[in-house]
Amino acid sequence: MQRLWSLMIGALAVLTIVLGAPAFAESKGKIYYLVPTLLDEFQTESVKAIEKFLKDVGYEPVTLNADNKTDLQQSQMNDVIALKPKAIVLAAVDFNALQPSIEKARAAGIPVMIFDRQITATKSDLTSVAGTVEIGRIAADEIQRLLKEKNGAVKGKVLQVLGDPADPYTLDIQKGFEEKMKAFPDVKIISLPAMQWEASNAGTIVADQLIANPDIDLIFVHAAHLAVAAVASLEAKGKKPGDVLLVSSNGAPVGLDLIRKGWEQVEVEQPLYAQAAAIGMFADKVANKQEIKPGKYKVLGLDSELTIESWGPNLKIPGAAITKDNVGESRFWGNLKAPSEPVKPVE
Amino acid sequence: MSQDQTAPGAARSGGASSELGATRIRDYRKLVELLLDNLVWLMLIIVLAVFSIAIPNFFQIGIFANIVEQSTFVGVMAIGLAIVIIAGNMDLSVESVAALTAMVTGILFCSRGIGLGITLSPEWLVIPVSLAICLIVGGIVGMLNGLLVVRLGMNAFIVTLASYIWVRGLVVAISGGRSAQDLAPSLRVMAIETIAYVPLIAWLAIACYVLFTFIMAKTPFGRHVTMIGGNPVATFRAGIKVDRLVLITFILAGAISGLAGWLLAIRTSGATANLGVGMLFNAFAAVVIGGVSLKGGIGRLPGVYAGVLLLSSIHTAINLMGLPAHYTQMILGALVLAAVLIDTLKLQIRQKLA
Repeated sequence: MQRLWSLMIGALAVLTIVLGAPAFAESKGKIYYLVPTLLDEFQTESVKAIEKFLKDVGYEPVTLNADNKTDLQQSQMNDVIALKPKAIVLAAVDFNALQPSIEKARAAGIPVMIFDRQITATKSDLTSVAGTVEIGRIAADEIQRLLKEKNGAVKGKVLQVLGDPADPYTLDIQKGFEEKMKAFPDVKIISLPAMQWEASNAGTIVADQLIANPDIDLIFVHAAHLAVAAVASLEAKGKKPGDVLLVSSNGAPVGLDLIRKGWEQVEVEQPLYAQAAAIGMFADKVANKQEIKPGKYKVLGLDSELTIESWGPNLKIPGAAITKDNVGESRFWGNLKAPSEPVKPVE
Repeated sequence: MSQDQTAPGAARSGGASSELGATRIRDYRKLVELLLDNLVWLMLIIVLAVFSIAIPNFFQIGIFANIVEQSTFVGVMAIGLAIVIIAGNMDLSVESVAALTAMVTGILFCSRGIGLGITLSPEWLVIPVSLAICLIVGGIVGMLNGLLVVRLGMNAFIVTLASYIWVRGLVVAISGGRSAQDLAPSLRVMAIETIAYVPLIAWLAIACYVLFTFIMAKTPFGRHVTMIGGNPVATFRAGIKVDRLVLITFILAGAISGLAGWLLAIRTSGATANLGVGMLFNAFAAVVIGGVSLKGGIGRLPGVYAGVLLLSSIHTAINLMGLPAHYTQMILGALVLAAVLIDTLKLQIRQKLA
């Protein structure tokens, strides 16, 4: 009887190995995605997109949420390093604070790919970004156009509503925006931060400023969810769509809806799907520590350029200005139509 | 003889002057007590006067209306928090409960994003129905907190800290991190229509303060809750059902936070997963600045409302001056410290007066 049991258990073990083998053979290993927060739509959608594209190329993605806490993300990095995955994809809560963790991972032989939030202070194995400074510059171009259309010249008053002042993401957008606006001294910019990226804080700023500065021509908010609260305040003050121009960044679904309703004129998109697809496309090269060549690459149809920088290979994917003319295009992540075609690894 | 004749007169005049002196001391004491009780209102008036003089564009009806409007959410949240604290407990979950009910309102009655766009006929029904849902959802979370504190004897700080975390997690879970927008117009009316420059949502907050001030000051419930905060054992021995009343305070705090979330969703025309983040600390600051003792048993709701108005005034002033937002936090921290210091001084002055 004991022998019979042993035989059965043995057969079961063999069956498990035989059946399980193809599954293991298919997976090239685990890649961890360290997402900074799940409290905004960009990050939530980035999880879906990165997981999809990594699966496309045969990896098993695992996502860890840092809840916007730097110390938690540092602990997650330490834990993940101990698990020795094929690679780590990092969207840092704090660009500088994660630098030692990146160095530790790479010293342990684990490649690190930087997603969306650029880190230039230390070397990494791939950076896939739209460029937050670039987003600010694109917004500046569009705002110049809108002011010229409204006032006949690039002049007027702009209220800039930043995100949390402790978040380098919003500071970079501000930097790019203000750099390009310096050339227009007739534009007065009032900049105020919405603490903790909280929507009602943005609404309060807009409500106050509409009274203190009733001649505001345009409001530029650094995230689409803040634009919703800004519109609520405009509506409460009796404004109609178009009375005060509105520009936002990140391309979230709520921003696209505001364009369709006429409240918002331009949304500067972060090309989320392309940024995530690039992670999948280069995953093999990074995991196998192969050379990544500089040059032009097509990422989901977008012309992107990979350069070798002091911090490593840097793939810059152009952001786009979304207006009422192109708001319906499926390439914008705000329409939540993730590409169904699988990505292919770069040869 | 002459001494005999003059002595009663002198005694009379001495008695009259000592009576006069006593009356003066009583009046002085009353005045000092009145000032101590309403110190936060005095501070508010001084701060508003200084801002009006020093900050361009501050002194106008629109800005004062904004201050009242902005006080709505933290103000309502602070009512529930203050009641629980006066009863000698703590509720850290109020912010997350407000976020939850805002998201529930958003999901049910927004037509874009993750909103289901539910409509009712007639349209105005959406106001009582959505409000009832928010009060019930908030009340349920409050009841859970209360039951764990009262029935299992768990520490209120820990129980509500856990709720603060899991309820916010629930908000992220039910929204998937996405947002709801474009709230039903019949609800948005509450944020758009004004009476005397002030939106209806802010009037609702003021009405809540009037109602709960009456309840806390003039009803047996309010008096018993204050007694529990002062000395729960003595209150129990006096035959008052302490556990039942403590449970009710938690349910009330939950339901009132639910109302705050409902108002927040109306103001922002929807909900995001991080809506209301940071409001707990503002509510706490307002409660402390408003003169509610964290030890329980002491505190009046009008003072709390003055605390909220004071904070909103400072936020608005900083917005208008274009100062970096960090200053708000620094001033807030300094104000809370000052409030605690003043509270200690008040106790000492009262002891001296006694």
